[in-house]
Amino acid sequence: MGSVQTATRPGVSLDADKPVLIIDDVYKTFGDAEEAVTAVDHVSFDVKPGEFVAVIGPSGCGKSTLFNIIGGMLGEYGGDVRIDGERIAGPHPAVGMVFQEESTFPWRSVIDNVAFPLELRGVAKSERYDRARHFIGMVGLDGFEKRYPSQLSGGMKQRVSIARTLVSNPRILLMDEPFAALDEQTRLLLGDKITQIQQELKQTTLLITHNLTEAVQLSDRIVVMTYRPGKVKRIADIDLARPRTSDVVGSDAFGRHVADIWNDLREEASRGMQESEQVARADRRRG
Amino acid sequence: MAATGALTMAAPVPRKVRERRETRQVFYVRLVVIFAFVAVWEFLSRSGWFFADIIPSLVSIAQALFRLLVNPAFWANLQVTLLEAAAALCIGTFAGVVIGILLGANRFLGAAFEPYLYYFSPTPRIILFPIMIMWFGVGLASKIALGALASFFAVALSTAAGMRQIDKVIIRVGRSFRATPWQMATKIYLPAMRIPVLTGIRLGLGNALITVLLAETKLSNQGLGYMVNTIYQRFDIPTLYALLIIVFIIAGACNAVLGYVARRAR
Amino acid sequence: MRIVAVADRRAPLTATRWFPLTVGALTIVAVGVIFEVLLRIGVLNRYIIPLPSEVLAAFERIVAEEGVIERTGTSAFEVLTAGFACIAVGVPLGVLLYRFNILRRALEDWVAALAAAPIVLAYPLFMVLFGRGSMTVIVIAFAYGLAPIVLKTVEGLSETRSVLINVGKSLNLSEAQMFWKILFPSAIPSIFTGIRLGWTFCVIAVIGVEFLVNLGGLGQLINDLAERYDMPGTYASIGFVIGISMIFFIILEWVEKWLQPAR
Repeated sequence: MGSVQTATRPGVSLDADKPVLIIDDVYKTFGDAEEAVTAVDHVSFDVKPGEFVAVIGPSGCGKSTLFNIIGGMLGEYGGDVRIDGERIAGPHPAVGMVFQEESTFPWRSVIDNVAFPLELRGVAKSERYDRARHFIGMVGLDGFEKRYPSQLSGGMKQRVSIARTLVSNPRILLMDEPFAALDEQTRLLLGDKITQIQQELKQTTLLITHNLTEAVQLSDRIVVMTYRPGKVKRIADIDLARPRTSDVVGSDAFGRHVADIWNDLREEASRGMQESEQVARADRRRG
Repeated sequence: MAATGALTMAAPVPRKVRERRETRQVFYVRLVVIFAFVAVWEFLSRSGWFFADIIPSLVSIAQALFRLLVNPAFWANLQVTLLEAAAALCIGTFAGVVIGILLGANRFLGAAFEPYLYYFSPTPRIILFPIMIMWFGVGLASKIALGALASFFAVALSTAAGMRQIDKVIIRVGRSFRATPWQMATKIYLPAMRIPVLTGIRLGLGNALITVLLAETKLSNQGLGYMVNTIYQRFDIPTLYALLIIVFIIAGACNAVLGYVARRAR
Repeated sequence: MRIVAVADRRAPLTATRWFPLTVGALTIVAVGVIFEVLLRIGVLNRYIIPLPSEVLAAFERIVAEEGVIERTGTSAFEVLTAGFACIAVGVPLGVLLYRFNILRRALEDWVAALAAAPIVLAYPLFMVLFGRGSMTVIVIAFAYGLAPIVLKTVEGLSETRSVLINVGKSLNLSEAQMFWKILFPSAIPSIFTGIRLGWTFCVIAVIGVEFLVNLGGLGQLINDLAERYDMPGTYASIGFVIGISMIFFIILEWVEKWLQPAR
């Protein structure tokens, strides 16, 4: 239990590195005033350069809302999300997003998909292809440059999306359950790939997930959120040694971290389950 | 391992053989159908038992076909019809894409006007021809207007549907990379809608072509539709068959070309 | 429990289905009023566009004097005759193409080409073959409406879920039982989509040919009035035919939806 800290306000952090991303007292409600649903309830944490942070919580804890706020997809929210002191109020160039849904462009080949952000910036074709090829290689898709997404598997398509985001050279890589649609084995192997890339690029990463093993396998810190309204329950340090591979899944330390976080998560998940069952019953009563 | 290896090695051969045999059978069936058709046709034509005069010998149709193809009047009329259809398709496509985007982008506009367009679109357009004549005269303009109207509906409806079917996450990807409005339009919306729009254009071309041709048979002094009518009034049955065959081939070719473009865009 | 409360909230007026439809209809009325005004103050030419009020008045006239009811009956008879003939020929043809795969591979493309062919243009030929009467109209409508029914029947039968076929096999159904208990029922929605398309084509062909060769029902009415240069009458009759066709399509679609399996 020594590795676990309670949540600290960013301003109080004694860490030498200045955080690159600060989430300060963020909240967001949906709906009309009297019947508002609070999705994110005064959440605060930060992410330091080169750090891998995961946000974990049951379905309905406002993870995706948080993702959309940090990505600048939701215009209005309470509190501050700051990057280098600048408040986010729209898609920020320093943030690169990877979406949960399959999001490659079916009309573009792999290399044109990956080169897309450079194309938007008007980078010359030969240069953007060179850089795209570099990242295609990094996600392990060399030789597939000319293929179209319809010719790839689900895991390969998600890797194309990740390469497409990495090519835009984001200071913060922001991922929303990128492997949710994949099977467990593919997920572990892609986790290896992500760890490898993150270490190679020293890529600051914020991962939104509901998958416990994935969060522990990849992260330096895990932000555990409560079921609706989504609050920070606690922030756990994962002190597993780096460089890591998926072999870590078998270690005792890994098991302890998983059990420890599940301890907190179980209560929230079962609360979520009960509430959705109540809703289903109420729906049935109303016919 | 060895057993499965042998199985997978052995399996493809019989399948290939079977496929080849089926392809051959398909070819024979087609051959038999064509041959039976030709035989019955020639028998009817030569015996004169049924539909005498109306079923000319295939030889005379072929001769008429040849005469048509060397007749400059045919090519002039073809040019007029294609010009009308092309102009109609351009106008109809432009208007259809613009209106379709409006209806697809704005939920209220779509709900308010699309049902009317949807149920209006399959009504027989040719009956609007008298109005088009009143507005645009008896020349090419009235046919182009009617053809444009005919193609407009197909393009507008499939553009609106295509716009609504765009995967929302793809739009969010564009926004997350901070694409400008122009980049969103040219690199996200239009490519994401290309298949429904192309389908609409393909249907629109078919509609424009048949509508223009029918309008020409009704009231015109040029174009292939006009030619159909004059040949009919001369009771030159072999040439009528020949001309209709040519028109069917042109319509089929237009359809096939746009179908090919749509498949390539996939 | 707050979620339940949100779901309970009444939808605002603008989100209902009828509000936008009414706005659409009112817009169409408003366009009519604008035309009326522009025509009366002389901005638009009254020799090209009749007054909308005159067109409305002409509806009564065409019902009373032009025999619209009988003409609708004539056209409806032609559409239904051709339509049922399409079903009687098209569905068995579709079953045949499904049953014999070689036949299907040989002929399906040809049927599809027929569906896209401008058959109505051959109306002079059909007139030579079948005379200047209802028979010609019915035959053209039949030829035009047949292909979609054949194609959709084949499609419906071959899209029967393989698990249903396996259920049939496990029960040792005979080929006839398999067809009547499993394949055909599962293909009915698709077959009716084909029938809706085919009958829509029949309407287009019947009214179009009546108009073009000036015989029979509603199509001829438009032609008559246009040749008499009765402008309000022409507009009114076109409006009437469009209205009748739209009602027909709505009914077809309603029946089709009703036949869809519950989701």
